[in-house]
Amino acid sequence: MVTSSVYAPHGEVRSRRFVDLIRVTAIRALMVRYRGTAFGVLWSFANPVLMTLIYTAIFGTAFKRYYDGSLTRYLVSAFVGLVVVSFFLATTNDALPSVVNAGSLMNKIAIPPIVFPIASVAANLFQQLVTTFPILFVLSIVLTRDPVRVALVPVVLAAVVVLSAGFALGLAALFVFFRDLPNLWQVAGFILWLSSPLFYPVQLVPPQARTWYSLNPIGEAIAAAREVTIARGPLDPYPVLFTIAAALVALALGAWLFRATRDDFMDLL
Amino acid sequence: MSAAIELHDVTLVRRTQEELHYDFKRTVLDLVRGRRRRPRRRTVIDNLTASIGQGVKLAVIGANGSGKSTVLKLIAGVLRPTRGSVEVRGTVAPLIELGVGFEPELTLIDNVIFYGILLGHEEATVRAHAEAILEFAELTEMRDEPTKTLSSGMSARLGFAIATEWRPDILLLDEVLSVGDERFRRKCAARLDRFWDAHSTIVVVSHDLDYVVRTCERVIWVDHGVVRFDGAVAEGVEQYLKTVPFGPGYTRGEELLELARENQRGEILVRGLSPTEQGRKVYLIRDGMRHWVTHPSWYVKSGYAWENVLHVDDAAILEIPEGDYLT
Repeated sequence: MVTSSVYAPHGEVRSRRFVDLIRVTAIRALMVRYRGTAFGVLWSFANPVLMTLIYTAIFGTAFKRYYDGSLTRYLVSAFVGLVVVSFFLATTNDALPSVVNAGSLMNKIAIPPIVFPIASVAANLFQQLVTTFPILFVLSIVLTRDPVRVALVPVVLAAVVVLSAGFALGLAALFVFFRDLPNLWQVAGFILWLSSPLFYPVQLVPPQARTWYSLNPIGEAIAAAREVTIARGPLDPYPVLFTIAAALVALALGAWLFRATRDDFMDLL
Repeated sequence: MSAAIELHDVTLVRRTQEELHYDFKRTVLDLVRGRRRRPRRRTVIDNLTASIGQGVKLAVIGANGSGKSTVLKLIAGVLRPTRGSVEVRGTVAPLIELGVGFEPELTLIDNVIFYGILLGHEEATVRAHAEAILEFAELTEMRDEPTKTLSSGMSARLGFAIATEWRPDILLLDEVLSVGDERFRRKCAARLDRFWDAHSTIVVVSHDLDYVVRTCERVIWVDHGVVRFDGAVAEGVEQYLKTVPFGPGYTRGEELLELARENQRGEILVRGLSPTEQGRKVYLIRDGMRHWVTHPSWYVKSGYAWENVLHVDDAAILEIPEGDYLT
């Protein structure tokens, strides 16, 4: 029997402590990130807005014909995509070193290591909840006028959060063992960014590359977000369902990997 | 009396550091070559069984790398046993690696609050005690400065102040008796005495055997992860000291003074005042060797020796006037 119950209250008290740990770790991360900055959390809003403006200025005129000839639709489409991909990459980049960085703390206080990647997700989620996510909700109401699509906005965003959490858990666990991972993930992030239909329409992707292209979960997540915020006509459920399924698979794999390796964490930290 | 801490057949097997390869390339190449290297593992704690009653003051002693701090981390829940069980009943205040884990960019007051919550206290309670914590650490004036401006000694003081603000059921001390300067050390000792008097269960890991003899009632001597002795403190310390190999003795106080000058703070540590039938013997343990300080007058002046010589890890040793009785 292997047990270790260090003042480990059960049930509600234990859950409350777990939530407290995530909350306080997330707040700490946000305070460190924005300490001394003039605009604080607004930077998480400024980033996709500025990128959208740049994309629109450079590519808008060339690609607007794929968006009903409307520069505004191109702009909104780019913004929605950037919100999704920015959240995913910011969350995974923050979570990747989170367990390793907390090594000294975990060596003196009993804290479940899963707290740290989850806190990274929570910190980034908070940022988006007060900046970009409400805008997607408003866009859905104004542009789609479809109650089903509006109702699906939180579902799709939740799926994006779960997808990011799955990757966050897996990357945080792997980084304990493989210190090359930040460099690899930097390249992977760049590939994900380029292979997602952010600033170009998906119609431009060659048919022979479509199968591989469609395997990019971020690409489908962007498509799902656009489907519920700016699309017109009958709802296409495919990207929404794909994103939900991908999110659940990513979470299951990430949680499994984290659980399978966590017993060795303290030997390496 | 029910046990506050129960360790039952606890074995901890850890990956060895030399086997840790952090690079992806080697792992991939090994896989390509059809080799799956399993990291080497070492038994750090081997079948440790101990029951520590409520209010018991227990010391864990042993040489460097024997597994003392690992025992403390198992009790603290920082490490999980590979086999066996660790049952702890009550609130735990771990004083392990004080001053480590603060967020350097955040202010002292923010770190106090975060750290207090991480230790398991309610946020409102921590906020109510935050100023008192800073006051005890004598860092009130720096409350709004980033923690990176603190020296390591100041960080340790802050860590001590947070961890000891509330009386725990179980206090775990890992060589924390060298916090700050001599004056602050006494202040810390006085606070710890509160817990001693309040019947907290206390587990101490220390090389300061005199402190162990004076303050603890039971000792566990750990040697390469195996318990060699579990029982009365004087007997345990005596048995442990017998295993420490002898080096050259120091027969004159000035030799010790010379050592203190050559070795800066922390380099020399007199660990043992072993009570015997003849009185108290003074040992200096240095570089893993036991040096018996044999000048007969030192026994007579053992109080003086304690104040000024046994703490040769402190700069105070240099204040002993040359030509004094000791030399």
